[in-house]
Amino acid sequence: MTAELPGEGAAIARCPHCEAPVEGPEDRFCCHGCETAYHLLQDMGLGEWYAKRESPGARPETSDHAWNAVPVQRTPRGDCTTLAIDGLRCTSCTWVVERVLERTEGVQAAQVSYATGRAKVTWDPEVVDLERLASRIAAIGYAPRPVDAPAPPDPLFTNLAVAVFGTANLMLLTAAIYASWLDGMEPRFMVLFRWGALALATPIATWSAEPFWRGAFAGIRERRIGMDVPIALAVGVLYVHGLVQTLRGAEAYLDSLGMLVTLLLVGRILESRGRRDTADAAAAIASRLPRTARRRTVDGVEEVSPSDLAPGDLLELGPGTEIAADATLTEGALQVQTSMLTGETAPRTLAVGDDLLAGSVVLEGTGAARVVRAGENTTAMRMAEAVREAIDRPTVDNPANDLAPTFTAATIAVAALAGAAWSWAVSIPVGVEVAVAVLVVACPCALGLAVPLGVSAGLGALARRGVLLRDGDALLRLGEIDTVAIDKTGTLTFGEPTVLVADDAVLRVAAGLERASGHPIARAITREAVRRRIPLPMPQELQETAGVGVEGVLDGHRYALRSGGAGRVELLADGVVTGSIELGDRPREDAVQAMAALKAADLGVTVLSGDVSEATERLAHEVGVDAFHGSLLPHDKAAWIGQHGRVLFVGDGLNDGPALGAAHVGLAMRTGAGTALGVADGIIARDGLAPLVAAVRGARATRTAIRANLRRSLVYNALAVTAAAAGLVNPLVAAILMPFSSALVIHGASRVERELSRT
Amino acid sequence: MDILLVLMPVALLLGAVFAWLFVRAARSGQFEDLDDPAIRMLQDD
Repeated sequence: MTAELPGEGAAIARCPHCEAPVEGPEDRFCCHGCETAYHLLQDMGLGEWYAKRESPGARPETSDHAWNAVPVQRTPRGDCTTLAIDGLRCTSCTWVVERVLERTEGVQAAQVSYATGRAKVTWDPEVVDLERLASRIAAIGYAPRPVDAPAPPDPLFTNLAVAVFGTANLMLLTAAIYASWLDGMEPRFMVLFRWGALALATPIATWSAEPFWRGAFAGIRERRIGMDVPIALAVGVLYVHGLVQTLRGAEAYLDSLGMLVTLLLVGRILESRGRRDTADAAAAIASRLPRTARRRTVDGVEEVSPSDLAPGDLLELGPGTEIAADATLTEGALQVQTSMLTGETAPRTLAVGDDLLAGSVVLEGTGAARVVRAGENTTAMRMAEAVREAIDRPTVDNPANDLAPTFTAATIAVAALAGAAWSWAVSIPVGVEVAVAVLVVACPCALGLAVPLGVSAGLGALARRGVLLRDGDALLRLGEIDTVAIDKTGTLTFGEPTVLVADDAVLRVAAGLERASGHPIARAITREAVRRRIPLPMPQELQETAGVGVEGVLDGHRYALRSGGAGRVELLADGVVTGSIELGDRPREDAVQAMAALKAADLGVTVLSGDVSEATERLAHEVGVDAFHGSLLPHDKAAWIGQHGRVLFVGDGLNDGPALGAAHVGLAMRTGAGTALGVADGIIARDGLAPLVAAVRGARATRTAIRANLRRSLVYNALAVTAAAAGLVNPLVAAILMPFSSALVIHGASRVERELSRT
Repeated sequence: MDILLVLMPVALLLGAVFAWLFVRAARSGQFEDLDDPAIRMLQDD
C-alpha cells in the first residue's frame, strides 16, 4: 500500500499491517509486532482481511492481565467467558478477531460484538487456556481485557414480551365488549370474552408486574415509599376489582391494567439501557488496575493479588510496574506516569515520601513503597465504585420518589372520599365503582415515568458522548449552571508534551531512534512524525539508557537524542549537536470550537490557572476566551468560584480538588489526578472538549424535558381524578386516557437525545 | 358465531405457545446482541 508524501510527490512505503510510513522503496514492517501479526494472519488463511478492512491494523502491544484469575463459566462444551476487546474499529476487526479465535486449537465457539466491544469465547480447558487466547488477540493488534462484571441479560425483556402479548389480546377482547354497548351481544360470548380477559390479565398482573411487586414490598419493609408502591397498589386494585367484576359478570378495567404494566416495563427497560454505557465505563476503570502486585517479604519478593495487599505492606517497584494500591514511596526515586483511567500526562518524578496512586505506571527507576490504601479503598476503585453506585441507584434524587408518599396518600384519600360520597348519595356499588375509577385514572404511570425516563435518557445520551456523571442529581444541577470556569493545563491543553518546532530531517532521525520507546516525549516525537507522514527509519544498534536518552546508528552516523533543557530535545550526530526539537503543551484541537459553543449557550467562560498570568492570557486569547485569571493558588480558584454563583468547573490536577468541590458542578478530565476524580461530579472520559459542550447542552435539555413531563403528568392526574370523582370515567375512558398520558411523557424524554443529535 | 367458542381458546392457546417460545428464545440469549447482526450482514465472508 502506498501513499503520496505531501510536498514531495514521491511514493512512500508503508508497513503492511499498521500502514505507518516506513523508509525505503518497498513496503516493510515497521516493527517486530506488526510482522508477527501479519504472518500469524497469513498462516491462519486470513490474509483477505487486509483487502476488506476499512482501517489499518493497530500496532500489537503485549498485555499483562492475570488471565487465570478471570472467572469462567463451566459448560458442557467447555469453559466460557466474556472479554472486553479494545481497539475494534470496524466490522472487519470483529471478523478477524472472531476467525483468529475460531481457528485456534481448542476453541469451541467465538462471537465478537462490534457494538459492545466484547467477545464471548467457549474453549476446551484441556487444550488451550485463556492466557493463550488473549495473547492471540493481542498478537494481531487488539487489546483484550477482563470484564469485571459481565452485563447480565435484561430479564425485563421477557416480562415485557408477555405483557405485550397479553395486553394486545386483552384490547381485542375488551374492544369487542365495548362494541356490545351499541349492538348488544349474546350473553355466552360476553362470558367468554370476560373470562378470556381475566385469563390474559392474570399473568400480566403477577408475572410481568413482578418487578413492581418486589420493589413495593422491599420499599414497605424498609419504610421507604418509592414509585413502586403506588404502581403495585394500582395493579393490585385493578386486578382484584377485575376478578370480582368478572365473577359478577360486570365491566372491569383489565385492559387498563395491561397497558399500565406494559408501559411501565418499557420505562424500566429504557432506563436500564440508558445506563448500560455508564456501567461499562465503570467496569473499564476497575479493569485497568493491575491484577498482581510484587510484595516484599522477609524471604524476598512474592507475587500476590492486589486484594491480598494490606496497608503497611511493602511493594517492590521497577520499570514497568503498575502500582496496585495507593502507597507512599519509602525508598528509591521514580518517574511515574499517572495513567489512571487510561489517561496520559507528563511523567512525574517522585522522591521518598511522595504518594503513588493505584493505576500509575513506573516509567523509570526502582524503589519500594508502603501501601496506604489497598483493594476497594484505593482512589481508583472508590471512583469506579462511585460511578457504579450511581448506576445502581439512578433515581436516588428522583423528585417523583419524594412525591410518591404524598401522591399515594392523596390518591387513596380522594378515592375514599369520592367513594363514600357516591355510596351515600346513590348506592354502595356505585361508590365502589367511582373509588376504583379514581385509583385507575390517578395511575402513577406518567408520574412514575417522568423523571427516571428524563434522567436516564440524559445520562445515557451524555455517556455516549463521553461524559460519565456520578448521578442524576449532578445531571440536574448541571442544567442550572450559568458560568463555566476552566482549568488550563491538562484541560484546555493536552497537558502532555507535543512537538512545537522541529525540522523534518531532525524529526525523522529522532522518531527512528524513539520508535520503540514508551516515554511521553518519545511518543510525542513519533506521533508528530506520523502526522507529518514522515517514514520512520530503522536505526541499528538502538540503545536506550534510562534518564539519559537513546542512541543508534543510521545512514552511517551514530545519532543520539539527549535532553537539551526544559521543553527541548537535542539531536547529536557523532557527538556533535545537529538539531533540536522543541516540545511543549498545546491547546486541544477542539478548544476554540468548544469555547465558542459554550459562549453561544449564554455561559460566561473564564480560564482559571495556576500558571503565570502571561501564559494564561496567551492561551485564553488563543482559544477565544476574554476572561482569565492566572497565578491562582488552589484555594484562590475555589474562592473565585464561591463568588460566582452556579459555576461549572472543569479541571484535572491534584490542585483542582478544592475548586471541583466548591463548584455547583465539578467535572474532571479523565487524565486527571486521583483526588480530582474523587471530588468531581463526573468525568469527561474522552479526549477533547466536545463532551463538555455536549454535557452542558444535554443537561439543559434534560431539565426542560423533565419539567415538561412533571407538568404534563400532574395536569393529567388532576384532570383525570376530578373526572373520575365526578363519576365521568368508565373503563373505556380510562383505557383511552392512560396510554395517551404515558405516550406524552415518553415522547418528552426522547427529546433529550434529539436535542443533542441536532448539531 | 358459535365457532368463536372454539376459536378464541384456540387462538389464546396458540398465542401462549408463541409467548412461551419467545421467553425461551430470550433466555437462551438470542436477544443479547441486537445491534451486531445488522452490521454483520454488510460483511461478506
